Amino acid sequence: MTSTPRIELRRLFRRLPSGGRDLTILDGIDLSIAAGEFLAVLGPSGSGKSTLLALMAGLDRPSSGEILLDGRPIQALSEDGLARLRRAELGFVFQSFQLLGNLTARENVLLPLELLDSPGSGERADELLAEVGLADRGHHYPTQLSGGEQQRVALARAFATRPPILLADEPTGNLDGATGRKILEILLGLRERHGTTMVLVTHDPAVAALADRRIHLRDGRIELEERSAPLSESAA
Amino acid sequence: MKPRTLFSWMVRESRGAFGRFAFFVACLAVGVAAVVAIAGLAAGLDSGIRSEARQLLAADLAIESRRALPETFDLARLLPAGSRTAAMREMVTVVAALPKDGKPGRSQLVELKAVERGYPFYGKLAVLPALPLSALLAPDAAVVAPELIGALGLRRNPHERALDFRIGTANFHVAGLVSAEPDRVGIGTAFGPRVFVSMAGLERAGLIAKGSRVSYKTLIALPAGVPADRLDKIAEQLRAALPATEAYRVETFRQAQPQLRRSFAQVGRFLGLVALLSLFVGGIGVAQSVRAWLAGRLDAIAILKCLGLRPREVLTLYLGQTALLGLVGSLIGILLGAAIQAAIPHLFGDLIPAALIQPWQPGALLRGLGLGVGVALLFSLPPLAGLLRVPPSRVLRRDAEPLPVHRATAGFAFVALALGLLGLTFAQTQSLLLSAQFVGALSLATAILAVAATLLAKSIGRLPRFSSIALRHGLGALARPGAATVGAIVALGLGVITVLTMSLVERRISAELGRELPSNAPSAFLVDIQPEQWPGVRALLTRARADKIDSVPVVMARISSIDGRPIDRIAAERKERQDPEKEGNENREERGRRWALTREQRLTYLEKLPADNVVVAGKLWSDPARGEVSLEKSFAEDLGVGLGSKLGFDVQGVPLTLVVTSLRTVDWGTFGINFYLVVEPGILEQAPQQRVATAHLAPGSEQHVQDLLAAAYPNVTFLRIREILGKILGVLQRIGLGVRFLGGFTVLSGIAILAGAISAGSVRRGREVALLKTLGMTRRQVATAFAVEYALLGGVAGLLGAGTGAALSWGVITRGFELPWEPDFARLALAVVLSIGLSVIAGLAASVRALERRPIEVLRAE
Repeated sequence: MTSTPRIELRRLFRRLPSGGRDLTILDGIDLSIAAGEFLAVLGPSGSGKSTLLALMAGLDRPSSGEILLDGRPIQALSEDGLARLRRAELGFVFQSFQLLGNLTARENVLLPLELLDSPGSGERADELLAEVGLADRGHHYPTQLSGGEQQRVALARAFATRPPILLADEPTGNLDGATGRKILEILLGLRERHGTTMVLVTHDPAVAALADRRIHLRDGRIELEERSAPLSESAA
Repeated sequence: MKPRTLFSWMVRESRGAFGRFAFFVACLAVGVAAVVAIAGLAAGLDSGIRSEARQLLAADLAIESRRALPETFDLARLLPAGSRTAAMREMVTVVAALPKDGKPGRSQLVELKAVERGYPFYGKLAVLPALPLSALLAPDAAVVAPELIGALGLRRNPHERALDFRIGTANFHVAGLVSAEPDRVGIGTAFGPRVFVSMAGLERAGLIAKGSRVSYKTLIALPAGVPADRLDKIAEQLRAALPATEAYRVETFRQAQPQLRRSFAQVGRFLGLVALLSLFVGGIGVAQSVRAWLAGRLDAIAILKCLGLRPREVLTLYLGQTALLGLVGSLIGILLGAAIQAAIPHLFGDLIPAALIQPWQPGALLRGLGLGVGVALLFSLPPLAGLLRVPPSRVLRRDAEPLPVHRATAGFAFVALALGLLGLTFAQTQSLLLSAQFVGALSLATAILAVAATLLAKSIGRLPRFSSIALRHGLGALARPGAATVGAIVALGLGVITVLTMSLVERRISAELGRELPSNAPSAFLVDIQPEQWPGVRALLTRARADKIDSVPVVMARISSIDGRPIDRIAAERKERQDPEKEGNENREERGRRWALTREQRLTYLEKLPADNVVVAGKLWSDPARGEVSLEKSFAEDLGVGLGSKLGFDVQGVPLTLVVTSLRTVDWGTFGINFYLVVEPGILEQAPQQRVATAHLAPGSEQHVQDLLAAAYPNVTFLRIREILGKILGVLQRIGLGVRFLGGFTVLSGIAILAGAISAGSVRRGREVALLKTLGMTRRQVATAFAVEYALLGGVAGLLGAGTGAALSWGVITRGFELPWEPDFARLALAVVLSIGLSVIAGLAASVRALERRPIEVLRAE
């Protein structure tokens, strides 16, 4: 591979002080994710999945090691620098949706667009809501929407600025099976269309099976890494 | 981010929080209303006085002094052609009804004013019959205030020509009644009813002898069309042309009653501080509302950060929101304040001339707006500083709590708060010293309350368990970590302190002024006694069973030089050092010092000092070679002289130099006759002089003695100490009422804060109620538990406030007024009871929604 990986982690450690001793959450992770790749992160509770995601997003800082996005190290960036990076480069989907309760669905989608001061953000928000099948629900507040609908709004928000990277934390974890499958379908469809690099944390092997590559975390280490067969073969 | 985006975000961020913001707005509005009402009143009065200045002076220019203009002084030469002048004399004297059946008539202390034709040049006298004063005032006629008729018991007698009474040694008839005059406005300082006579009438009354207390005034009206700068120039020329410049005061209407305005400004400044206190207490409520609001917004803030909002932008967003809310609260406060300002003159009509107040005071409204938004921003700084540390990873891990705020950040927020408060106080008082004292005292009181409240909350946990479930729950709720106990106690406590301290001090002073005078204190002052009258006056007093009769000679003089340097030059130098338009604290003192230099001084001569004098430096009459003078210590400090200084005096035209050989302290509380300046005997005996006397009269006999004196010695002015104290008391009580009224705003802020704190916890409350109800507690029991909690809170705030208030009033009473402290337990208890009552009512009112919720609603939502 000659092109720079979109995300690269080098000897990444994250320790937290706990009861006088350091608790090692991530224990020397090396990982490289290519542009356009879909990586699933699996592992039991407390294995460090969410921390890994938080570090990639610049929401948390590593104890040591390097995080490179498009070859640029981000661990030295200031809070402001990280914030700017997130608003331009990253999209998020969370298990608990994380919509702002005092904003309507459309305003939630508008939020990242307004942050970038991008022109035509209103049309873009409407277009995205239509894409996730909520064209006529834009004026509703999150509490007036079902869980699946809320997560669709969250998807629309995540793709609003066409971020090159999407980080998803158990996006179907709070949804029932049918709804979860529908959400996943929309998510994968959007990713396909936008060519987004995606890191998805999940418990669900069925969901993980759809990824290009899977890593299994245990006690902060990558225990197992497996690659799906090339698309042409799996289709056969 | 574009400002427009930011603004729309601020508005969005406020959605669904109107209940919570209602307390924010209420806390601020109450304080702003108090500030605006007082500022508006003070400014309205000031601008009223300025715009009515000509009427208040009744002239364009006036020359005032304790002496008549010199015979040689050619006033007309200095004035433009067409100017009119009118002389005026004012004095306090006793008038009496005519004797009847050999008995003296009733007498009354009055303010006598002799005027020439032309008075008043501006403004209107309200006189009945509606004729010019000069037409009514024949040499034997007087125009009097209606209350004098009743005071003297004058009755229209068919045999008499009219209502007759006696002024001095001559009889006068009442030719008219006066109910208002343009140039008489003050804070209830009148000695007695007004009596107008003509100059010829004053002459007839025979009251003016050498050394009498008369103030001389010459009113000048310039011809129409004289420009303002010309007026100032004329005043300047007059000042230069008058002989002893500092003895004569030239005032133009353009100066607009500097003394009157100053005294109103002083009261206004004091009340303004009390109002500011309620705004600052409101600030605590603001801080509390912001803290509670942000606690509920942590997730939203984490999401915003996650989406790429920079920490600075988060801070801007919420600071902007605070400012927006501050603006709303201030605007509501302004409306409220303006309404109060409009109502106050009707409540205090006899204290503040309502007609003089100009109601529209945009400056006061702007000040309210500025102070309100300022307080909102300042007090929200400490809670907002926590925003910087909300971890965005909270979106992934709900348990990621905000990191502790950096020490430097927290320190910076508090320093900014303190400096900001100092700045706001300075904006309100214009005095740095006063502002520093105020903010210092406020911080100290807050710290005491906060520390005590914290200790209390902690120690509750160590109490033995009570068997009553309501009591146990109530106590537990107070001690619960994160309960808004401390903030509510501090706010309520500050309110209690303000109201209670003022009420205690005022009551104590009222009691002191209203109580029977100590048996050894004189009950009457007699002034303007001619030396040759003294044996007769003394005999009269003795016959009336007066005891403790004491009398000393008084010689009026002016200081003309200090150590050979002319006093005018010293005064002018001191004046140059000060900006006369500024009205700060420091300036007032300086003005007092200047006044000490140039005013008319009363001198006495004594061989031995009275018992209430103590020589603290030097030795009395110790230098046989030189003429000596003994000075009261603080007066010497005002003059800037000490032992050995040479004081030159102008004793009604005769120069005299005396050397300071001793300094004394004086206990003024004994009401004895005391002087700043006491001269060695053997020097002033031949100078023109009068005597003053004191006597102790049996209660109830004063009127009779006054009647006797008025009949036999009409030039002697008899002042009843009890009556004068009563007048002072009246003014004091009114100011006290104003302070308590404003202090009520502080209590109101405290209550709003308490209610805010309770409703901020209403989600938790609802869950708690649901749980308790599920476990089988009745609504009544739950309400009782809540009531116990609020009662405890109010009780603690009341006790702490009462304790601090008692200590503060002790300080004010014993240090400020030098009176012995007397605990007023009834009032202290009342303060605690009221504090408890108010907080229970406010607390239950704010918990109604939580109490009404059905358990299933809450539990299902979990």
